[in-house]
Amino acid sequence: MNAKLLVAGIATLALSAASAHAADNRAALELIRKECSSCHGPRGISVSPMFPNLAGQQAPYLEAQLRAFRDHSRADPHAQAYMWGMAAQLTDDTVKDIAAYFASQPPARGTAADPAEVAAGKKIYENGITAQNVPPCQSCHTPTAGGNGPFPRLAGQHRRYLEKQLEVFAANLRANEIMHANAVNLTALQISQLAAFLSSQ
Amino acid sequence: MKPTQARPAVKLGLILVALVAALAVTPSATQATPAYARQTGVSCQACHTVFPELTPFGRKFKLNAYVFTNVKQLAPVSEQAQRTLALSEIPPVAIQLQGSNTMLARALPDSGLTKELSQKNSTEFPQALSLFYTGKIADELGAFLQLTWNPSSNSVGIDNSDLRFANHASFAAEETPDLIYGLTLNNNPTSQDVWNSTPAWGYPFIVTNVGVPPVAKALLDGQLAQASAGFGAYVYLFDHLYIEASGYRSAQTSFTNATTGGPGPLDSTAPSARISSPVAPYWRVAWEQAWGSHSLEVGTYGIWAETHPPGIGESGPKNTFTDAALDGQYQFITDDHTFSLAATWIHEARKFDNITLGFSTTGTRDEILYAAGTPVLGSAKGRPDTQGAILEIDFLPWLNTKLGAQYTMYGKFNGGTRNYDGFGRRASDNNTLFLFVWTSF
Ligand code: HEC
Ligand code: HEC
Repeated sequence: MNAKLLVAGIATLALSAASAHAADNRAALELIRKECSSCHGPRGISVSPMFPNLAGQQAPYLEAQLRAFRDHSRADPHAQAYMWGMAAQLTDDTVKDIAAYFASQPPARGTAADPAEVAAGKKIYENGITAQNVPPCQSCHTPTAGGNGPFPRLAGQHRRYLEKQLEVFAANLRANEIMHANAVNLTALQISQLAAFLSSQ
Repeated sequence: MKPTQARPAVKLGLILVALVAALAVTPSATQATPAYARQTGVSCQACHTVFPELTPFGRKFKLNAYVFTNVKQLAPVSEQAQRTLALSEIPPVAIQLQGSNTMLARALPDSGLTKELSQKNSTEFPQALSLFYTGKIADELGAFLQLTWNPSSNSVGIDNSDLRFANHASFAAEETPDLIYGLTLNNNPTSQDVWNSTPAWGYPFIVTNVGVPPVAKALLDGQLAQASAGFGAYVYLFDHLYIEASGYRSAQTSFTNATTGGPGPLDSTAPSARISSPVAPYWRVAWEQAWGSHSLEVGTYGIWAETHPPGIGESGPKNTFTDAALDGQYQFITDDHTFSLAATWIHEARKFDNITLGFSTTGTRDEILYAAGTPVLGSAKGRPDTQGAILEIDFLPWLNTKLGAQYTMYGKFNGGTRNYDGFGRRASDNNTLFLFVWTSF
């Protein structure tokens, strides 16, 4: 009898927690539909390459980025111009809900690029360039480039956005020690080839 | 004023093509921004290419009634947990300042002065000074209100104003963008529009106060600006299709200012046309297609209005205007470059009740409409045809400050090329170089 009561008690607790969370989630969904979608697309697949695709992105990575926009630690020019304001009033719960929403959306399908460029980019992605001290990207971003936890999905991302990020990492405008080291020795051509490969996946 | 049979409709076509190519020299300060930027925390470049031209996001912001905010809100809730207020902690006000220098190719004749001394160069500082309240009022309600002091007429007046309500409706399918629906209350047909290919926010974005204005303009090309009030409803579907229906009207002719007993703001002595029908219907349909860094819009808009010409009383003759326009806008926006092209073509059919108001078709001079027999501003032929081009180069040292040089060239002015006014003035004498500074903060 007692045990049953306890179970029922836990069940109601869980239920109310779930509905409270559902209510929060609605706030995040409304924000996404009314605001974020204007640039990032209704389900996180954007039209303009100035705005990254968010669909299918790793949730921990998205959370980290939104917090970094909010506390201004991601400070490349576009982050300042567009995302600092957008993230300014997000609560930790909303950040979680937004990240969970985009992570659960089907990712963008790749767009075709010049096969020679794609092949060259694939080679760097898989093997790195020992002579230039560039590690294989797949060791962190996974062989499919789907990402893993804090390592973002790169597959299907807009080509121009990827190039831009490698440029701002290299210039230390987007501060990240790991990616700075990885990007600083890449030539413009190699960046372009990597981006061609990744955006076509 | 004896009405005769209606004259055949007179047609007036207006074509405006604007080309804006911007090579963005990335400005250093990105946070020096007026009210909307303060409210959203987003830099000007999110909403504007070169202000006031809007980007796709800027259009969404306007369609959504200017409410999107990223600043702290005063948001008390009722006992039922309903928000009873949603006010930004800082009021969304901003100041706009325009200053300019205008040079006419040939000085205007001045009866008191010899030709050499009469003026062809005027400096206006400020040319206009405006106070904006632009931003959120409540959760789904926002405003673009502009109060402008115009030194050349030394008057303070309500400039373009737009009060809006907007909301969203979601479709079951998640990948379908929301439907945006809204209501707008504004005082200038097309000022509510989100594309820059319609007159109110179209090219040229700024013009001189002291140049020589051509005698004729289509009704929709600013003739009803701030002289009418319109209310309308719109929807934006699938991020593609915009449909709007609005109605405009003017105040009664007999309207007088209750306190001073003088003429009211929309009174018959007012220089602009007045709508005499109870309501002038305005329509707008546009399709937008975006791919990659490109966006393309094609649309149509128009108005049907019966008006009293300026200076004619309520019982006088009426003009019937049907303005039907096509417009298009193309934008290419990337980090480093922006290119845009906007064009509109307004076709105006006018029907006049009374023969004294006829023009070009019969060659009757119209003292009221076309001021024949007037130097500079008149038309010897009584024709309104004006053709030319406007070139403009802008430099934005900061995103909120524009330095511009604008050159207006006339091939034809008020129906003529060499001696259009009958007093020896050539169309090209009205060519105007206009240098300006335009900033808002
Ligand atoms: C006005 C356009 C605009 C709007 C609206 C907007 N964003 Fe962004 N967003 C951007 C741009 C531009 C970037 C790229 C920033 C950079 O290059 O550093 C970005 C980047 C991001 C990133 C980082 C993605 C990555 O791969 O690193 C996330 C996450 C993000 N936005 C989430 C959001 C959320 C959540 C909202 C709604 C609250 C939102 N954005 C609204 C323009 C926008
Ligand atoms: C040691 C692990 C590691 C390796 C190797 C690595 N990355 Fe990364 N990469 C990261 C991390 C961590 C981030 C997230 C950085 C942040 O939080 O700002 C990242 C971010 C990125 C981003 C930004 C994604 C976005 O959505 O904004 C790009 C692009 C990228 N990496 C490309 C590469 C390429 C190309 C290589 C190979 C040359 C590579 N990375 C190698 C760890 C790695």
